[in-house]
Amino acid sequence: MSEDKKDRIDNDQSDAMQRRRFLRQGAAAVGGVVAGASSTSALAAEPLAVPPTNKMMGRPVVATPYGLPSKFEANVLRRNVEWLTPDTTASISFTPLQDLHGIITPAGLHFERYHSGAVDVDPEAHRLVIHGMCERPMQFTMEDLRRMPSHTAVHFLECPANGAMEWRGVQMDSVQFTHGMASCSEFTGVKLTTLMEYCGVSPDSTWFYAEGADGSGLQRSVPLPGAKDQNGQALSEYDQNEIYKDVMVAYAMNGEALRPENGYPVRLVVPGCEANMSIKYLRRLKFTNKPLVTYQETRHYTEVTSDGRIRQYTLVNEANSVITYPCPDKHMGGKGFYEIRGLAWSGRGFIKGVDVSTDGGKTWREAELVQPVMNKCFTRFKIPFDWQGEEHLIMSRAHDDSGYVQPTLKQLRDERGTNTIYHKNSIQTWRIEKSGEVNNVQINNV
Amino acid sequence: MFRSTMCKSAVIRSVFTRAAGATCALLLSSALHAASLSGIGQPITDAELVNWDISVFYDGEGLPEGSGTLEQGEEIWAGKCAMCHGDFGEGVRGYPKMMGADLEEFHETAVDNGFNVENRGINNLWAHAPTLFDMIRRAMPYFLPQSMSDDESYAVTGYALYLADIIDDEVEVIDADFLRNLEMPAAHLYYTDTRPDVSNTRCMADCFEGELEVVGKRIEGDFSGSD
Repeated sequence: MSEDKKDRIDNDQSDAMQRRRFLRQGAAAVGGVVAGASSTSALAAEPLAVPPTNKMMGRPVVATPYGLPSKFEANVLRRNVEWLTPDTTASISFTPLQDLHGIITPAGLHFERYHSGAVDVDPEAHRLVIHGMCERPMQFTMEDLRRMPSHTAVHFLECPANGAMEWRGVQMDSVQFTHGMASCSEFTGVKLTTLMEYCGVSPDSTWFYAEGADGSGLQRSVPLPGAKDQNGQALSEYDQNEIYKDVMVAYAMNGEALRPENGYPVRLVVPGCEANMSIKYLRRLKFTNKPLVTYQETRHYTEVTSDGRIRQYTLVNEANSVITYPCPDKHMGGKGFYEIRGLAWSGRGFIKGVDVSTDGGKTWREAELVQPVMNKCFTRFKIPFDWQGEEHLIMSRAHDDSGYVQPTLKQLRDERGTNTIYHKNSIQTWRIEKSGEVNNVQINNV
Repeated sequence: MFRSTMCKSAVIRSVFTRAAGATCALLLSSALHAASLSGIGQPITDAELVNWDISVFYDGEGLPEGSGTLEQGEEIWAGKCAMCHGDFGEGVRGYPKMMGADLEEFHETAVDNGFNVENRGINNLWAHAPTLFDMIRRAMPYFLPQSMSDDESYAVTGYALYLADIIDDEVEVIDADFLRNLEMPAAHLYYTDTRPDVSNTRCMADCFEGELEVVGKRIEGDFSGSD
């Protein structure tokens, strides 16, 4: 029976039938524009049932004093990869980027990275110490930090090993595992420069290091103007002069106190840089005139380059992007309209634009950037896509306000080989199969 | 807060006196806009930080008094280290090994053969011996960090260096001077980031010719990372 004929029959029926007809027409109209081939559901003969929730009383206030997601969202979880690390206390979990919208990562879904497990630091007993090359070495309570001039900014944090499992070939058929070592949050705390001024940090200080109060006592060195490495090689102008300006000591994330997983009660946030530098459970900043060259700066977070040398202090996470819908975790639901959506970010500043290709990179279209677009922050992009059941290779390519354009996998491999670990920020390709399934693939020759 | 309360009562008392109001406005303004940061936090001295400031720089600055021997190190290793790092430092269950791939071979073939966890070790990657001491003293043994004395940490550092074939069993004492002067095999290979190392362009149309080589899922359980 055609839509028209059914509508004519319906015209003669009761009010209730007319109401049904209206609903069907609405559904058909939406189906025609948005869902295309799925119009059979608009022809369902049975009326929609009144949902059981219309016929019951719900839960009272404070039934969940700290609210939780709907039970129907129970699949939206951080996940880890068992074979990745020998131990879950020195390991990583991944953010389910496929289920997120906008740019903020809910605190409970922020990826985790521990070097000796998460700890519960008592905020009353906790002290942040600032010392070294400064006129006024100081210790601060948490209350002291909250009294100081505050600074709020939205920034991404990304483990430099994000994507590391994909250097040698396709391994993780999931955006959660290819790109989920990245999250984005609003942080509130005190700017490093405020603390530096208050403690009278010497202009001769060219580095500081941060140390955590967890079992790993994690330490990382952060450059200041004039920074040179242990061999006398100067760091880049950008690393010397720009990184520290955005650094903050954060006690809040997404409007509430930090979670233990994210460094409660206070952490360093080094926006744009490998998240290992954003020391959690922060207890000490020491201003110096040289780097520590810690365990985390030699055995980890360094790379052997193609000339056989070892590259260190690869601090900045260069521009990266990925399509989060559709993706291997979110297949196609039928022919017709889709909005390709994704995330882009750059450790050097603002995302200037994102280009999207649906033909393996032969042609590209500029996607729309969703406001707000912020410094060293996830930027959401979107672009309409009409899928008619063909095979497509979809990919996104970000560029930032420094002029840097996200590279292809081939470009990175040609330069770095396939056995490096960190900073794999190459263009990600998903293949939409004719079946509507979406898979992770790699383009090896372009 | 104190000033503004004063002003409020002053204004109430002399509600018809414009001068008093103007003065208070100035005071209020300076309290809000020109407040310099003060009265927050407590000064701290180096003496108060002896238990905290235990960091050791790459050049040995910060190494404590004390020493250890390889014999002591061997004994501690058996009890506190071998269950993860292996009796011979070979690493078990994926935990880091002390002796990685041969340095020359490792670096000559890094791009093809792997800067991966199976190959990485103290011999081919660690740049400075004092860093090794720092790591062991602050974070090892993994299940009970900061439980070893400085002497024990020196002993274990020495034994790890021995297992990595960087020092031989003739070494009698491992202390600050020894670690400061020990040349690590990989130290000379280090250089600091010079990225961007690749350059892409925003081609928008006709970006390549010919067929794409597209590869799907083909490997499983292979990762060149580690803890």
